[in-house]
Amino acid sequence: MDLTRRGFFKALGAASMTSFAFGMSQASPALAVEAEDSWKLVNTEEYTNICCYCAGGCGSLCSVRDGELVNLEGDPDHPINQGGLCPKGATMFQLRNVVNPETHEIEKSKVRQTKPLVRRPYSNQWEPISWEDAIKEIAQKTKETRDAGFVETEMVNGKKLTVNRCESIASLGGSQQNSEEEYLILKMMRALGIVAIDNQARV
Amino acid sequence: MTEMAILFDSSRCTGCRGCQVACKCWNDLPSEPTAENPYDSVNWDDKFTHPADLNSCTRLIMTFNDFESESSQKRVGWAFSRRACQHCTNAGCVNICPAGALRKDEDTGMVTYDQDKCIGCQNCSAACPFDVPRYEDRGGKTVINKCSGCVDRVAHGMMPACVTTCQPGALQFGERDAMIELAHERLAFLQDHGYQDACVYGESEMDGLHVIQVLKHGMDAHGAVKDPQIPAAAFLSGIMKPVTAVGAGATVLGLAAMFGLAHGYKRDTLVYNDGTGDTISLESGQVTKQGNGPDERTVVESMTENLPEKVKDKLPASLAQGKKGGDDDE
Amino acid sequence: MTTHWCDMQNTDVILNIGSNSVENHPVSSKWLHKAHDKGAKWMVVDPRYTRTAEQADIYCPIRSGTDIAFYGGLYNYIITNLIEPGLAEYTRTGKNPSNYNFEYLINYTNASYILMEEYEFDPETGLFSGWNEESESYDAHSWHYETEEEVPWDTSVTGAYNWSVAEGVPEFEKPVLTVPKKDATLQNERCVYQKFKEHYSRYDMDTVCKVCGMDKEDLELVYSTWATSCAPGKAGTILYALGQTQHTYGAQNTRAMSVLQLLSGNIGVPGGGVCALRGEPNVQGATDMGMLVNEQPAYLKWSNTTDRDTLAHWLESQTYSDGYYTNKPKFMISQLKEFYGDNATVKNDYGYDWWPKVPSHDGSDWSEMSSFEKMKEGTMKGYYAWGMNPCHSAPNTGNVRRSMAHLDWAVTIDQVITETASFWDAPDMNAEEIGTTCYFLPCALIYEKPGTILNSGRWIQWRQQAVEPWDEAKPDYEICDLLWREIVRLYKEEGGVATDPILKLKWDYYLDGKIDPRPVSWALNGYALEGSDWKSGFKSDAKGEKLTSGSINLLSGYANLAADGSTACGMWIYSGFYSNNEAPVSAESQPVYGRDNTDYGGLGLYNKWAYSWPDNRRVIYNRASADMNGQPWNKDKCLVKWDKKAKAWLTGKTADGFDNPDFVASKSATDPKTGVVTTTAIEPNNKAFFMLWEQNGRLESYGMVDGPLPEHFEPFETPMSENLLNGRLNSPCFLGRPETAGKKRKGTQYVDDSTRHATVDEYPYVATTYSVTEHWQTGAQTRACPALVEAMPGDMIEMSRELAKEKGIQTGDKIRVWNRRASVVVTAVVTPRLRPLTVNGKTQHQIGLTHHYSWSKLFGLTTHGAVNDLTPNVGDPNSQTPEYKAFLVNIEKTTV
Repeated sequence: MDLTRRGFFKALGAASMTSFAFGMSQASPALAVEAEDSWKLVNTEEYTNICCYCAGGCGSLCSVRDGELVNLEGDPDHPINQGGLCPKGATMFQLRNVVNPETHEIEKSKVRQTKPLVRRPYSNQWEPISWEDAIKEIAQKTKETRDAGFVETEMVNGKKLTVNRCESIASLGGSQQNSEEEYLILKMMRALGIVAIDNQARV
Repeated sequence: MTEMAILFDSSRCTGCRGCQVACKCWNDLPSEPTAENPYDSVNWDDKFTHPADLNSCTRLIMTFNDFESESSQKRVGWAFSRRACQHCTNAGCVNICPAGALRKDEDTGMVTYDQDKCIGCQNCSAACPFDVPRYEDRGGKTVINKCSGCVDRVAHGMMPACVTTCQPGALQFGERDAMIELAHERLAFLQDHGYQDACVYGESEMDGLHVIQVLKHGMDAHGAVKDPQIPAAAFLSGIMKPVTAVGAGATVLGLAAMFGLAHGYKRDTLVYNDGTGDTISLESGQVTKQGNGPDERTVVESMTENLPEKVKDKLPASLAQGKKGGDDDE
Repeated sequence: MTTHWCDMQNTDVILNIGSNSVENHPVSSKWLHKAHDKGAKWMVVDPRYTRTAEQADIYCPIRSGTDIAFYGGLYNYIITNLIEPGLAEYTRTGKNPSNYNFEYLINYTNASYILMEEYEFDPETGLFSGWNEESESYDAHSWHYETEEEVPWDTSVTGAYNWSVAEGVPEFEKPVLTVPKKDATLQNERCVYQKFKEHYSRYDMDTVCKVCGMDKEDLELVYSTWATSCAPGKAGTILYALGQTQHTYGAQNTRAMSVLQLLSGNIGVPGGGVCALRGEPNVQGATDMGMLVNEQPAYLKWSNTTDRDTLAHWLESQTYSDGYYTNKPKFMISQLKEFYGDNATVKNDYGYDWWPKVPSHDGSDWSEMSSFEKMKEGTMKGYYAWGMNPCHSAPNTGNVRRSMAHLDWAVTIDQVITETASFWDAPDMNAEEIGTTCYFLPCALIYEKPGTILNSGRWIQWRQQAVEPWDEAKPDYEICDLLWREIVRLYKEEGGVATDPILKLKWDYYLDGKIDPRPVSWALNGYALEGSDWKSGFKSDAKGEKLTSGSINLLSGYANLAADGSTACGMWIYSGFYSNNEAPVSAESQPVYGRDNTDYGGLGLYNKWAYSWPDNRRVIYNRASADMNGQPWNKDKCLVKWDKKAKAWLTGKTADGFDNPDFVASKSATDPKTGVVTTTAIEPNNKAFFMLWEQNGRLESYGMVDGPLPEHFEPFETPMSENLLNGRLNSPCFLGRPETAGKKRKGTQYVDDSTRHATVDEYPYVATTYSVTEHWQTGAQTRACPALVEAMPGDMIEMSRELAKEKGIQTGDKIRVWNRRASVVVTAVVTPRLRPLTVNGKTQHQIGLTHHYSWSKLFGLTTHGAVNDLTPNVGDPNSQTPEYKAFLVNIEKTTV
């Protein structure tokens, strides 16, 4: 029996092989596996992703059928992890979908919070809020707080400097985002004049 | 068939449990308990071994054992061990299974099973020298749950889920002979590095296991079963075959109880119809109807009719109507 | 990491110190075992016998917080046993002995540089020269080199720096290279080597053992094993993580490792380097991106109120006189162009003054820990937490909760309700007294959105979106865009304070009418303004490859960046990663998505897989992998090589199997009359570290605020009453240190009510915190995964059998752990993997605490508070990293 960590790529045929090549336009064509109902990965498409934990940068493969994730495991082609994933990486599937121990059915994680919430002053509970209202309120508060605590100029060693600084807001985080998101968050915060910007580099 | 095997090299294992959770993810196994705050009373006696043993939804666990050791500069050792089905060549569970649910996979030699065929008699557990099979409730039916060797993945050219995910390369999968060769190469490396108790396990146990292990700290430290045997194997298979051959009303008579006592288990004794899949517990009287019999009573009657007298004597009162010469005329 | 994961296989000696890498960076196990299989020796120096220690050949326990004593002893060992015995012979013959690489030390490091006459260290006070008693800070002037000669920049038409006077380049005073005085024999008593040798002569093995609590036999075995990596052609690698950085002298710890690697000739060679194992999925990216108080994207510095108060001052203070950072003006102007687009012109200093200026004149600190002090002061009123959970991960989390209660509003963007989102709901908080409005915005998971992420080895990799975000969750980029558009709308419609910095900002990262990470990738990669049209709106073709509206002219690398406003680039170091103009819409067609996993050259460079910054170099400082003639120290492990016959460098630019050069391998000149470009190879020289102006590695450095050489100090909370190596107990200038009686210090101060110093008489046990492999940081993700909660269901305290016996404790008991900051209850694990140490003749117990669980309503709920309630909010003065790894506690068995 001839097995490799990437044995199943053979079953997927030539279409998937092209994803090895740099320069192809679409890396994830629908990759049909033989039609066999009981096979977990029947009729799935593969998407490549990178683990969300330790900065090893391990590659993962997400198998998707009808728009839903059905499996996630290490990417056997990835030179760093060669298909491997540690326990955290190997359970990334459960960030979204978990098995109900009563019914054995796969269902959406109940621990994950997928709607915006607000907790009003002096209240002891969360309330639902629409995205639209949440964004409006947060933007309004950001503006009010910024404008109230803004330092436009400052005397430093006898010299008047334009400093354009907002001292009343802090923005924390960034190590969990993709780089493009980091840039947008950073750009927004610096544009507001915020200097109290920090991320998980120390924890 | 090419004999395949999983190689577990404990000296590369980092005890990360990636295998344990990858098994759960691939096989859609839940974790229990899942209610809020369930872990306050968690049993930490085994230090790092969580859950403490295999269970209804856990087919593979890593176990941990740390100890002082004067034999090395490090003065301490930490044995990481893999606890799951060993996929015996001489597999007592396959021999004993009355329902044909357990079988040797023709392509690999791994011991796999069909949950749909399982009748939940749990005799495989009694026949297992490694205390591996566990049982889960599937829609009211109790069925076996254990490592399947991921024969579904293997059939599609993939490694078993635990092997695929193993970061340090402690798990490998391949032809059994090649795995044994690798194991011995590693053994030589370990002995060269001062691990004098290191050994290879699984080469000849149970006529050869399909999990070959390199035990860095030796069998004791890793909790390996020395000289494993099927409990009273000959007796088991001897009694099983004729009884199952009865057909319509077979019992899985007392066997589990017999061996269960020795192992500290308490098992039901079931009566089973291998045509319909119906079962009756001789302990509780519970009837599980799988076939299309018109009512429970008919099922009970058809199944108890041909039972040996010895067994009929044991029937609980609720099933007594099936006794020959019974006076129940409704 | 100066190297990358797959390079670990090339090493001869592995030293895990301050890193439990197989557990917390599990993929390291694959590559370390490969090295081990090939014969490498594996050593672990750690307070605990970890899962990594189980893999290793040698284990040496250490008292938490004493790493610099350990390194100092190792320097001393190398000097005494390898350098001193062979130096005279090497100076005479120029021939390297087999056991030590003099050629590397003398040519590639600053060992031979002559220091200023005023340079001094006083063991009595533990202070270097330049200490100002009044301000309690150092002036680094005396830590500089003496100057041999001064060489100004040649800005003439044919000069190398002619670009700096071109039209469009802001005017600034050009740097002058101060060529340092040197003594290649290393005999001058003021040369770095001699000062270094003198400094570490105090670090003898007996003293190191007393400080660190080590057995001399173990220590000697570790030192002698490490010494084998100092031979030419051999490599040793150091793997470290938060165990080194989370100290009040954490940055000096990391410097100490770099110094060790320079002294051992291990930086830049295959299997060598310093492996800083980054702790978060994209913390490399966040650090690159400058999501920090002082750091601007790509390791430039934000504007401030002192040496960077104008653009000209920025250019003057930041542009190096020599080496690659002479190009900083190009990076800086390109970045400003990306920030402000057409609004940035040479006339308005490219918008420099719209950036906020970090207050650098008043000693204030704006990093995470200090932000909580500012909430209590009343300065800080609003708070954004993007996927970060400071109410669980920051030190002294009780202080964090109490501080956050002063906020007007807080926004948490996360996947679950974290402790930070619900700080008002903590067991010890009274929601009815807390007036903060708290928002929770649900974000998408990693496979629910596309984008790039960087690993510890600087590989930039693209994540494909596999599924749509569930329910109402949104990607962070979309959340950010929604907020920004609303803020801009408000300022446009209502006006407000200082609107220019907001309204002049360029924010046009839309593709097919929607916010999209790909145009952001273009901005990060850099583009020429000519040929780029952001105004028409970007539309993609049906194949998702090309643009049918708008255009982008992506740069092939940062060598194309200009200081005259003709290029824009958000991240010069990434330039090249997304540079395929044939299909700008398709991330899969870009170098960042390279999927050729062929191991050209056999050293695991994999340089056609993904993209490694800078310039797709896999091992940085790789010039140091070859000798002064450009020949590899180890012929079987070649990254770059000077081809003597062809008179050219063999590098990844010219041949498969080599790495891209991290040095100037050739230079191009354009004839001003004909426009003809000629490229000539640069012959091998000693410029192995061209990101520094001296282009040599620094054994001694004037760049740190707390000393030019790593010196041992005790943690903020120490069991010791004295420092056995000098006359000062704690580092003189750590962040959050108590004020000296009768003195008012400038800047952000932490009052004792905040830090709550614990002393050894009440709290006799040294505690350290760490993660387990089954969980991730505050558990916001992993506590949501049932299989992981099952695999490691709670926090624990690990302790030795000896301590457990003393305290009547057994595994499984509930233990109360407390100090002046808090009290928490965790489960006991009694183990031989921790053992009592003998520190300066006395028995010292250490305990270990994991820190993943807390009170928020996830799986694994505990009512007993977070372990970080116990950790002290003090930190390193260079990096502001808190001291999680060494503090004091007391313990008792409890029934609660």
